[in-house]
Amino acid sequence: MSAIAAEGQNSIASASTKRHTTLLHRMRRNWWGYVFVSPWVILYIVFGIYPLILSFFLTFFNYSFVNPENRQFVGIGNWVRGIEDPLFWKAIFNIVLNQSVFIFLKNGLGLLIASLLFNIKFGGRLLRTIYFLPVITSTVVLMTIGDNLASPGGPIQKYLIDLHLLDGPFFWKSEETWPMIVIALINTWKWFGISTVILLAGMYSIDARLYEAAAVDGANGWQMFTYITLPTLKPQLFFLLVVDVINGLQMFGEVFSIGFNVYGGINNQALTPVLYLYAQAFDRSNVGFASTLGLLLAYIIAALTFLQFKFFRTNEN
Amino acid sequence: MRRAKAFSPTMILSYAVLLLGAFFVIYPFFYMINNSVKTGQEIMHSPTALPEKIVFTGYTGVFDELDVMLLFKNSVFLAGSITILNTIFSALAAYAFAKIPFPGRDRIFGFMLLTMMIPGVLFLIPTYVLMYRIGWVGHFEALIVPSIVSVFNIFLIRQFMSGIPDELVEAARIDGAGEMVIFTRIILPLARPALATVAILTFMGSWNDFFGPLLYLNRPEQWTLQLGLLQFRGTVPGENAQQIWALTTIITVPIVVVYFFIQEQFVKAFANVSLSK
Repeated sequence: MSAIAAEGQNSIASASTKRHTTLLHRMRRNWWGYVFVSPWVILYIVFGIYPLILSFFLTFFNYSFVNPENRQFVGIGNWVRGIEDPLFWKAIFNIVLNQSVFIFLKNGLGLLIASLLFNIKFGGRLLRTIYFLPVITSTVVLMTIGDNLASPGGPIQKYLIDLHLLDGPFFWKSEETWPMIVIALINTWKWFGISTVILLAGMYSIDARLYEAAAVDGANGWQMFTYITLPTLKPQLFFLLVVDVINGLQMFGEVFSIGFNVYGGINNQALTPVLYLYAQAFDRSNVGFASTLGLLLAYIIAALTFLQFKFFRTNEN
Repeated sequence: MRRAKAFSPTMILSYAVLLLGAFFVIYPFFYMINNSVKTGQEIMHSPTALPEKIVFTGYTGVFDELDVMLLFKNSVFLAGSITILNTIFSALAAYAFAKIPFPGRDRIFGFMLLTMMIPGVLFLIPTYVLMYRIGWVGHFEALIVPSIVSVFNIFLIRQFMSGIPDELVEAARIDGAGEMVIFTRIILPLARPALATVAILTFMGSWNDFFGPLLYLNRPEQWTLQLGLLQFRGTVPGENAQQIWALTTIITVPIVVVYFFIQEQFVKAFANVSLSK
């Protein structure tokens, strides 16, 4: 009995040493693999993991760049201050408004243009090239143009006044909510090309026989679109939505480069969360508080991403 | 659906909408270039009209007011060095992930993909604190070093390299070729399309970036074109508005020219990103 047990233990031990040596052997034989991925690993530890830990640590202090020795422990003070800060919530409201308009228009337009491109026979490539032009152009340049076109007395407003759609010059930059809508429109113009290309690639991967069978059954174009195209494009649409929400809630460069200050204007009408964080860190030197705002925003983004995945999964089943 | 007749009403309507869309996309660029060759007075009175007489005072003026060559040099240096380093180091890592079966590979790769989901805003402040402590604020290193390699590019190149047959690599290993030789002689030439894609995307990203330079490059002699435009825009009086349009044209043209040469790969790069998920 005990002999059998001993033998059993022996064989387990030898198996584990064997696995151990083969693992070492495989590591040694493939050591170049570690060398090749090490630049990323090292950089991520230094510029990824370390900053993440530092960021969390900083939220418990009042800290300034100028005077780092003078940091002051404040416990969860920054967190309470962030949650109670009306400006932070105004910024959240602004960005949600901006991104709702932007994500809806950009992907809607992308879907429309992609289905039209899918239908035509000639010139599709040239048109696609054109739609992609704003994607490759810099934000500062596009916002300079957009700002000028939409300015009071600019071409768009002149045209709207001629059509009697507008009574007089409209100073949208100093209005509430309007800056966020105008920026969403300019951003739609910049980014719809990406949605178009991604959705078009999805459409080309759909089996053409599905459409042929549907045509035989007498389905019209709209029915084919809603019953075949849209359901098959679900992964692409989901991908676009997830990426748009993660990136979109962090939008702020556009506000800055269209000419607002770091507080999003006198009434904070164009303030976004990251812009507010920037103002707190670099204008007010409240580094700890700014870090807290960053983490608060990250939690909101994580929660929204989680919800999207959950909805997507339940819809799949 | 794809077999619609060439001149059916739907087809005509499709082209009408698509051409209208193309017009709206191109018009702002036309507006920019058109105004860059007008006089400031003309821009003020009739911003949308064609120039009465083509003048280049915008271009000469902006070169007088601003050291455009220096801005250009800084932009090329920054975007160029990031693109070269990032393409090389991302390709190295991608090769390891695609073709070297080192233990722990899949775990590291999975972790790496997860890091892509972390919102960038979290790194903004602590990275600045870190850069401040090591004294890189005000130096190009602050922008170049963290961009030496990127997850997104590793991922894109790896997807492509996975398509290269393993036998090719195995055969070279049996012949006694080292990994470095296999990488430079066999893998790199075959992966050229993926490398081109990554290089283009990286170049575009850093050429167009204004926020990184705004944070870290605080001396005017380090400014890039984007930063130059951002600062210059506010100082130009209305009668010299053509200078702004000249500068935006100067910034935009290089990237558009590059784009037209390689647009097929460019567009594919974006489509691939979502399909490979």
